[in-house]
Amino acid sequence: MALFDRTSAAVEARQLVKRYGVVTAVDGVSFQAMRGEVFGFLGANGAGKTTTLRMLCGLLKPTSGTALIDGIDIVADPLAAKARLGYLDEEPFIHPHLTGREFLDFVADLYRMPRGRQREERMERLLNLFDLAQKDGELIGGYSHGMRQKIGLASLLIREPSVLLLDEPTNGLDPRSARLVKDLLEELAARGTTVLLSTHILEVAQALCRRVAIIDRGRIVAIGSMEELRVQAGSAGANLEDLFLKLTAGPESREMIERLLESGS
Amino acid sequence: MSEPAALSVIVLAELTALRNRLAKRSRVRLALIAIALVVAAVVIGGTAFTIGATVGRFLAYSVDPLLAAGFTGVSLLMLVVGFPTVIASFFVGRDLLQLIVAPVRTRDIFIARLVSAMSANLLISGILVAAVLGVGVGAGAPSVYFPLAVVLIAIEILTITSLQAILMSLILRWVPARMARDVAAAVAGLTGAGLYLAWNLSIRQTFGQKGRPDLSGLTGFAQHIDWLPTTWPGHALSALLAGSNGVAIAWLAASLALAAILMAMAAILYEQTLPSGLGIFGGTSVVWRRRTQRQAASRLARGAGSPALAIARKDWLGFRRDVRRLTRLLPALLLPIGYAVVLSQPGRTLSGFWSNVALLTFLSMFMASALATPSIPSERRGFQLLRMAPLTMWQLLRAKVLIALPAVLATMLVFSVAVAVASKSGPLQLLELLAFGVWLAGGFVSISVSGGAIDPRFEATDDRRSVGLVGSLASIGGSLGFALLSIGALALFVLGGQAAEGTAALGPIPQGPAIGTLIALAGVVLLAVGCGLVVLLMWIANSRLRSFEASIAAT
Repeated sequence: MALFDRTSAAVEARQLVKRYGVVTAVDGVSFQAMRGEVFGFLGANGAGKTTTLRMLCGLLKPTSGTALIDGIDIVADPLAAKARLGYLDEEPFIHPHLTGREFLDFVADLYRMPRGRQREERMERLLNLFDLAQKDGELIGGYSHGMRQKIGLASLLIREPSVLLLDEPTNGLDPRSARLVKDLLEELAARGTTVLLSTHILEVAQALCRRVAIIDRGRIVAIGSMEELRVQAGSAGANLEDLFLKLTAGPESREMIERLLESGS
Repeated sequence: MSEPAALSVIVLAELTALRNRLAKRSRVRLALIAIALVVAAVVIGGTAFTIGATVGRFLAYSVDPLLAAGFTGVSLLMLVVGFPTVIASFFVGRDLLQLIVAPVRTRDIFIARLVSAMSANLLISGILVAAVLGVGVGAGAPSVYFPLAVVLIAIEILTITSLQAILMSLILRWVPARMARDVAAAVAGLTGAGLYLAWNLSIRQTFGQKGRPDLSGLTGFAQHIDWLPTTWPGHALSALLAGSNGVAIAWLAASLALAAILMAMAAILYEQTLPSGLGIFGGTSVVWRRRTQRQAASRLARGAGSPALAIARKDWLGFRRDVRRLTRLLPALLLPIGYAVVLSQPGRTLSGFWSNVALLTFLSMFMASALATPSIPSERRGFQLLRMAPLTMWQLLRAKVLIALPAVLATMLVFSVAVAVASKSGPLQLLELLAFGVWLAGGFVSISVSGGAIDPRFEATDDRRSVGLVGSLASIGGSLGFALLSIGALALFVLGGQAAEGTAALGPIPQGPAIGTLIALAGVVLLAVGCGLVVLLMWIANSRLRSFEASIAAT
């Protein structure tokens, strides 16, 4: 039985707007992700997913609107909000001249985690979980993309944040590691961690997320559970891929391919 | 339909990229850069022109050795300072990977890249252009002298750039590719520092004594290097000034032939080494393994982790393992050691306390600039990690100052003792020097860290390119201002002390403890202004870091 309140919002975006000069990257995005929920954030390339996530984690300041983490405004009280969340970029932020263990130690100190046996044991477990223990002693700069992704995830999990914002976390992972991450996220959510997951891989979103938001050209075009999305799109029985394509409708790809091949011949 | 030539396609793409980079910048920023460049051109170019005109007018008998020395000096400067640009243009950049897999001849890539490779050398040669034109004006040269001077300088730039490309290609043949760039940078840096040291000591010898400057040492030195090909354009111009047109044409032809040979050699060697060069410079990967598996110290430690200590430890480990950063530090370390060694030689003693103060100020500024300025930009993408942590940017700035300070302080303290002993200063003067060194180190390190934070280039792969123009100007300008205020304050303290004792040369102003205190108070005001300058720059740096929003490319 869950010992946390699933009805309280752990992440809340209220009318978030981000403008770069005349370009509006995010245009009034609002949603809530509840405690212990895996919430999917889907959109095409350049739709505004990463910009939204970066506003939520405090890397970007919203032009207008509010981003709340556990009810704390990240702009008004950034230190308190940041202490509660972990953000994994699609290209993880790492220090290439540290070993995996040193990097985890660095992050733990940065977040003022108490030193001692407990922290060391947790670090050891994480390194083993992600198959990085045998790479101990090798600098992160020499890691493959997948290994960087794994050390990035480990650096979040070492300090047990209550909110995880993950931008394409399974990007570059082998099938076994991708499965591990999916299982881990489910388990974390069951224990009360809120996971906001931005991904292109719709199967991952369909398998993991209780609810999803679809963003297109900076605006949320649909939000809800699979059933709710089917109703919004008017497509009973459709899978997430069909719904996504319908809700972010552009020219049919088949039609475009035909046109391209015709122009080439 | 005609196919576009590869060379023009590459050059056009580079020009478009340059235009886009400029268009992306704000107009205010561009205007500031343009103003700074114009001011620098007027000041530096004007000084060089005046010196040239003076030499042409009053030192006609020494024009040939001085022109030869000028061409050689600027060539060496280009060789050292322009080397990173040449390496970056010929061997760095993922766009080169694209060119190498495309059906493009390496020779075309070489010629296309030569244009950007020459950019730094072109800028440096501005000093030579101004000086050489000044010589022409001073000596009343015939009109053909001026275009010929420009042509000869262009040939010199081509020669030096080709030589740099050859050097890098040769280094790549003998040194493992992974280390080649660092070896090249270390050699260039050490050569530069050595040349600066030699030049500085030579200037001290030439202008050190009271009365007329003694140029015999300088011209004697120029005669020793007369055989160097870098002197040939100088000989051509001096021959023209002397009316020997035939000799001038011969030197011009020799310079042209040398440039052509070196360029051809560079192109051939580049063809052979580009793939191996790109193997490392196109995409870096660091593989390193610790010899022993040491358990992290944190197992034994207790209490909450400290972000400042964590950053310090991370920086220390990164610095120790990053050969590139270590090689950048070598020249900075060579200067104080070199000065201390040279000045401890008999007959090389400094002329007194103020000479020690000037040297200490310069070296402190140089060390702080080398160590502290890139400390925040060198975080690269890791800076985002710090921004996401529950850590204020003010804490980060403080941590970076505290990390760089001990190294600068230690070097300065050792150096202060060395010069004080070499110049036979008393214990009181040594104490004054030490206190002044501590003050300067604190100020310069804070200013340098701030300069880096004001205009960081987190995506730069090289520390020397990690601070933008605004940051560099803030750092240099702030340091110079702080140096002037500090030296001024020290002078006022010394003068106040003398006035209190009644030994100061104040003219009609009466001396005594009251006047002495007043003068010392003026010194305190200068110190306070210096502190204000440091606080102002740190405040700007803090604001800039807090509002930093640009995305940082994966590097």
